[in-house]
Amino acid sequence: MLTLLKLLQSLFKTLHSEGTPAQVAAGMMLGAGIGLTPLLSAHNLVLFAAIVLLNVSFGGGMLGLALFTPLGFILDPVFDRIGLALLGAPALQTLWTDWYNIPLVPYTNFNNSVTLGGFVFWLVAAVPLYFLGKLAIARYRATYGARVMNSKFMKGLKASKVYNVYSWFRPE
Amino acid sequence: MKKRFKVFRWKAVGPLLLFLVLLVVLWIIFADRIVRNEAESNLSETLGTQVDIASLTIREADAAVDIGGLAIADPRDPMKNLFEAGAITVDLDPIPLAEKKIVIDQVKLSGLRFLTARKTPARPADPNSPAGKLLSETRDWAKEKFQFPKLALGRIDSAKSLVLNPEQLGTVKAAQAFVGTVDSAREAFEQGLAALQLKPLVDSSAALASQLAKTDPKTLGLAGVKNSVTSVQKSIDRIKKARGKLEALEQSAKSSLGSLQNGLAEVNAARLKDYAFARGLLQLPSFDAPDIGASLFGEQSLDYFQRGLYYAKVAQKYIPPGLQPWNRPGPKRARRSGTTVEFPKEKEYPRFLLREGDVDLAIGGQAQNTFKATFANITSQPALLGRPATLSASGRIAGDSPISVDLSALSRHFGKSPKDSLQARVGGVSLPAIPFPGLPFAVNPGKSTLGLSFSLAGDKLAGSWEINSNQVTWNADSARLQSASLVESTVWRVVSGLNQLQVRAELSGTISNPSLKIRSNLDDAIADRLRGLVGEEVAKAEAKARAAVDKLVDQQVTALQAKVSDLQSQALTRLPVERSQLDGVQKQLETQLKRLAGSAAGGLKLPKL
Repeated sequence: MLTLLKLLQSLFKTLHSEGTPAQVAAGMMLGAGIGLTPLLSAHNLVLFAAIVLLNVSFGGGMLGLALFTPLGFILDPVFDRIGLALLGAPALQTLWTDWYNIPLVPYTNFNNSVTLGGFVFWLVAAVPLYFLGKLAIARYRATYGARVMNSKFMKGLKASKVYNVYSWFRPE
Repeated sequence: MKKRFKVFRWKAVGPLLLFLVLLVVLWIIFADRIVRNEAESNLSETLGTQVDIASLTIREADAAVDIGGLAIADPRDPMKNLFEAGAITVDLDPIPLAEKKIVIDQVKLSGLRFLTARKTPARPADPNSPAGKLLSETRDWAKEKFQFPKLALGRIDSAKSLVLNPEQLGTVKAAQAFVGTVDSAREAFEQGLAALQLKPLVDSSAALASQLAKTDPKTLGLAGVKNSVTSVQKSIDRIKKARGKLEALEQSAKSSLGSLQNGLAEVNAARLKDYAFARGLLQLPSFDAPDIGASLFGEQSLDYFQRGLYYAKVAQKYIPPGLQPWNRPGPKRARRSGTTVEFPKEKEYPRFLLREGDVDLAIGGQAQNTFKATFANITSQPALLGRPATLSASGRIAGDSPISVDLSALSRHFGKSPKDSLQARVGGVSLPAIPFPGLPFAVNPGKSTLGLSFSLAGDKLAGSWEINSNQVTWNADSARLQSASLVESTVWRVVSGLNQLQVRAELSGTISNPSLKIRSNLDDAIADRLRGLVGEEVAKAEAKARAAVDKLVDQQVTALQAKVSDLQSQALTRLPVERSQLDGVQKQLETQLKRLAGSAAGGLKLPKL
């Protein structure tokens, strides 16, 4: 219940943040990368750093993470098959063998079928996800945005200290 | 004016660095615990048994790890630890860590103990894990491949009725399978012979020879002689070809007959097994010395060989030969584990390598300890290293009951013939009591010399297990002994006076067809005594068991033998007749050819015959 509440909180905060729809969608796209692949891999540190350092919506990133993590669990069997097919592809053996023996690269766990499958799935889905997200957020703001923004819930949320910390990462 | 869009959010660098510092702090706090849990989990899964590590400390500055209280449970006895180590120091090579590879320069083990009792039972291996599956496979293998005769059970009853079901008998199954082979061989022989079409060839050639014999060559003229010579030559060529094919058929028939004789031998061997099966139903003791050895020490020796095979198979599973990508289950986590693929590359580090290890047996620090052990080149990808993993240990371990150890092991998983082998000799070791299956007593070997060897090279198995002791004592269950059968009490009288024990078990053959021979110094003594005591009764019962089997299989086996004999006699009698007919007709044609040549001398160039 608490997780659901936090998810809702994150959703509203993000949708009404001062970032443009493009910044929120870009944050969501990067967050989806973390959510779709198993957490303990080096590439997720890079994605997290990108969410923090790039001028994208941090809330969007967290929202992407929250939305796509359960989807990742559901799609794991698909990722496993994609990853195994890629890792077993004869044409890619030299590439994998080289990567496997390059310092730090193995810490991305690219040689695990679920990690590689999830990552490749995210790479393919990233651009459509960005444009879809941008469109959806713009529409939302044009239709329900103002009403939700003036609700008691949002006013209370904005007044809390949590919002102050969050605002450090607010897009400029 | 439109505000310029900034790509980077520089003010977030501080919080990001803070986050990274937090990660480092968390690693420092929890790394030891995480690595210990991972090591326990991975080792447990690999070895198929519970592995406990009491403490683990990572010394990042020295690239070293200190492990305390390592205990590896016996996968086949949850109340026993196979191995305990008081302290282990692991010196790592830090460079390969960047490639997520573990290369250990040196390991030092101290405070070793073997076969110690556990306070709590070990968790059994997950039956679905690779090691769990191997454990159950080796158990099934032992059950399927080895059945040891029972030495003594109840009263010998030669009048007991014996009802056998033909489906239980191996001879019936073997004969049914073999009859098809005989029929196929017969059909192939007959078809091969018919395809040669020897009769029309012999008849036409004989007719030609006969016709020429009645003809005067002078009446034929030069052209007629020339035509006749050509016809004769063609006939002779056909005969020669037919003879070649006949010889090939003869060779093939001989080879088939050889296979059929082997098949018959297998059917007869199955009959011998059926005799033993029928004897088993009558619960008769065996008086053959090798059977007595197998009855008494079969289970014990098999237990050792089973362990040897299990560990050799674990090594084969986790140390694949060659440099092909190698799939293994991914890490355990909330998400699906998936498959992790290793991509070894020549001249690179393997995923795991232990360059060198030393065992320092500092238990109590006795000066009499001369034990030294070293191991080297233990790796997950031996093809990269090109050197076999080795373990050697020798010396004397002091204590309340000092023992001498001489041990060597080798694991070569590269090149054409992978091999895992172990040889060990332990002197002065106090062995636990060995119970005799179905008998109310056990032997306590006391301080003994124990010899072990085991090797698995490809599919080939070899091994030995031997015990020598001259301090043997015997433990009997007095209540059961009072109600023991004549055979049981006789065996007890024979063995209870002995204070020496020599047992030797030898394993050979292949995994699919292993052979185990067991001899002990008790065999002949027990066999002689039992034979004198109840031999006549047993002989009667054995004859009855054989008769019961013969009654069910004789008809089928006799019919089968007749079929093979028939085919053999056909091949042996018909083929020489056919060949002599070809020889005869060829001779006739050659005579006519000479005749024709004589008449046309000078006018016709004849081939050499």
